[in-house]
Amino acid sequence: MLKAVYYTNQFFAGLGGEELADIGLGMFDEPKGPAVGLTRQWKGEMEVVRTIYAGDNFINIDENFEAIGEELLEMVKSAQPDVVLAGPAFNAGRYGVACAKVMAFIGEELGIPVVTSMWWENPAVEMYRRRVPIMSSTETAAGMRKSLPDLGKVALSLAKGEPLGPARKVGYFPTDKRKNEYVEKTGAERVVKMLLQKLNDEPFITEVPLRTLDRVIPAPPVVDLSVAKIALITVGGLVPKGNPDNLKQAFSVAHGKYELTDSNPLTSDNFESIHGGYDTTYASADPHRLVPHDALRALQQEGIVGSIYPYFLTTCGIGTNVESSVNIGEAMLRDLREGEVTAAILTST
Amino acid sequence: MNKVLKRYVYKVDSVEFGEKSKLENGHLTISKRELQEAVQPLFEHVKSVDFELVKPGSDTRIIHLLDTILPMIKRTDESGRVYSGFFSDPYMVGTGSTNVMSGLAVMESCALPWDEDSASSGLLYPRDAILDMQGPIAGMTPFSETNNLVILYELEEGRSSAEYDDEIRYIGLRVAMTLAELTLDLPADYIETYTIDEVDPELPNVVLVWQCQNQGPYANTLLYGVPIDDIVPTLLHPNEMLDGAVVSGNYVWPAFKVPTYNHVNHPILLELYRLHGLELNFRGVIFCRSHNPTNWHKLRNANMCVKIAEYLDADGLIMAWEGGGNAAVDGMLTIQTAEKHGIKCSTITFEFGGQDGSEGVLLVDDVPEADAVISGGSIEKAVTLPQVSRVVGGDVMRLNKETGGFFPPADEPITFEQTIHFYMSGNQCGASKLSAVEY
Repeated sequence: MLKAVYYTNQFFAGLGGEELADIGLGMFDEPKGPAVGLTRQWKGEMEVVRTIYAGDNFINIDENFEAIGEELLEMVKSAQPDVVLAGPAFNAGRYGVACAKVMAFIGEELGIPVVTSMWWENPAVEMYRRRVPIMSSTETAAGMRKSLPDLGKVALSLAKGEPLGPARKVGYFPTDKRKNEYVEKTGAERVVKMLLQKLNDEPFITEVPLRTLDRVIPAPPVVDLSVAKIALITVGGLVPKGNPDNLKQAFSVAHGKYELTDSNPLTSDNFESIHGGYDTTYASADPHRLVPHDALRALQQEGIVGSIYPYFLTTCGIGTNVESSVNIGEAMLRDLREGEVTAAILTST
Repeated sequence: MNKVLKRYVYKVDSVEFGEKSKLENGHLTISKRELQEAVQPLFEHVKSVDFELVKPGSDTRIIHLLDTILPMIKRTDESGRVYSGFFSDPYMVGTGSTNVMSGLAVMESCALPWDEDSASSGLLYPRDAILDMQGPIAGMTPFSETNNLVILYELEEGRSSAEYDDEIRYIGLRVAMTLAELTLDLPADYIETYTIDEVDPELPNVVLVWQCQNQGPYANTLLYGVPIDDIVPTLLHPNEMLDGAVVSGNYVWPAFKVPTYNHVNHPILLELYRLHGLELNFRGVIFCRSHNPTNWHKLRNANMCVKIAEYLDADGLIMAWEGGGNAAVDGMLTIQTAEKHGIKCSTITFEFGGQDGSEGVLLVDDVPEADAVISGGSIEKAVTLPQVSRVVGGDVMRLNKETGGFFPPADEPITFEQTIHFYMSGNQCGASKLSAVEY
């Protein structure tokens, strides 16, 4: 028979209410509280062999949690479970955080499948949904008879070594992981159906959630251009002919840094654009269209601009994901800082 | 308006080469010699063509894949010719009767030159579109389930990309139409009638905005035989597309291109037709180009699309586009403009998200109004193609021209970090069931 370890609080373990919320870590070698129902639900396929508990106040204090970490892991390991589960925590904030935090810790430290359950507005959902599968429960314990079997079903499946199915199908909150799959209906069928749902005021959920981007606060303006050192940057893919550093034309992960000197002028003999997202014919014909060094030189000669950073920085802005973009930006910044650059002009295509 | 198109459908269950071309009880015999004779007069930049057959679900990989074409032909010349504007004046199509083969696709495969004269630009060089008839990427295209006649082109040397491009397309269309001629005296397996003339006032009015790629030779779409440079959004009757008014000339990023076959049998258009009169009124296709150069141009495009939708009394609009990030901006602005004018929208697009889906934003661009977005799958997923016993189109793949080129053997297992080289993996026209599913 498969074995489960169940985590709960002082209340569901049957020890007492708020007055015992400071009680430390403990355990019973038998199912307690909702775990009794779970064992019944599993009909001999799995049983709860150990119930671990801690008071909600106790476990939510970071020093306490750190102090009991090893003991907690030992309690789990010695029971040799196939799955560890906690809750349902409903809309109880402290208990929700306790369940999610303990499950995340056990899952990540021991590599045993874990799962918990709570109401969607429980603050622990947003805090832990990326680290632990959290099943959606009812708001209060009045829905125990609906929420507990959902949790038990997933726990049994995980204990059997079955992969966790998609969030919407199984009923847990999205972990932000997304996998390519062939689904039941074509994209065409789904896009028409969703429009009809929208037109008929029926509920629908977008398949692609819109994630927000960090807002970049613009740097303060340059106070005195006549003493400023200006750099030129492009995401238009300008590279020395032959692309000596093998920059990618899409999905970039790095940038190039190339000299802007009179001995190596920005001409079509020396430079080309490798960008994979537009017709680069005109950019390659006169690279100043991407890196306006000629115009900047004129401003410098007129005394409007102090000096010019003697390199240009370049990459291809196409299909580049945010993480790569941030890395490239930081690497560019190191070059600019080292070159004591005051301000930069970035051209995009 | 009285616009009715009858499609006489001829099922092709099996195909083989033989001495004389004929279609008999779903079995198609193709004479290579007859096809060669039919296209010979077109040769100027093409030296020769050969043909290969690929069976559905077979252990086969097709590479250097350019376009895929649906074999069809008008039953009589009275209502124009299919693929109007190519072998005829650009007379309006979409009425009368058209014979269509079902289960057979004509494919163009050619390793178009990479040398400077022909492919001088960062975007505009032909890429190695890869199609597997079985295995992990087979489901990304409908053509793993069809019999495919692959045209292999041998080119004359030193011609321009525009010259190759044009001639390859003319030959492909000619082959498709020549095969369809075999149906002319035969009874059809079944007949489909297409009309949107009747409008049920109880049902919502729905339009499709079909926004196609146009960035130069090898990244093009043609309307009645002409590239859509500088097109203003225009109204098409869906029957015009069913008769081939829109033809692809897009050989750049394989993930994002939509084959001519699917401009004709456009999956969203067919789905709207299926539900016309039942759950919605299909009011028409608003056709425009993506990759408009500035935000100003994109807004102009969006507003003109929505203006046409308003003329059609649209309650709902489906936004679909060909192309990558740039095109997404055009599409999103159209959604925003439509919603501001009280027209509800849904859309389909590929997504990013990194290997596990949790990385950064999922779309290049979005607007808050885009609240009904279908995922056509993520292009940022590593895929290992398995060994295959047969490759059609060449012996080696050609990848990554900008870093000097990479030429792995085409039949061996190979891992790609993204899906962008796989034919139709961006799922832009909703043909496949691929989707990025939330975990």
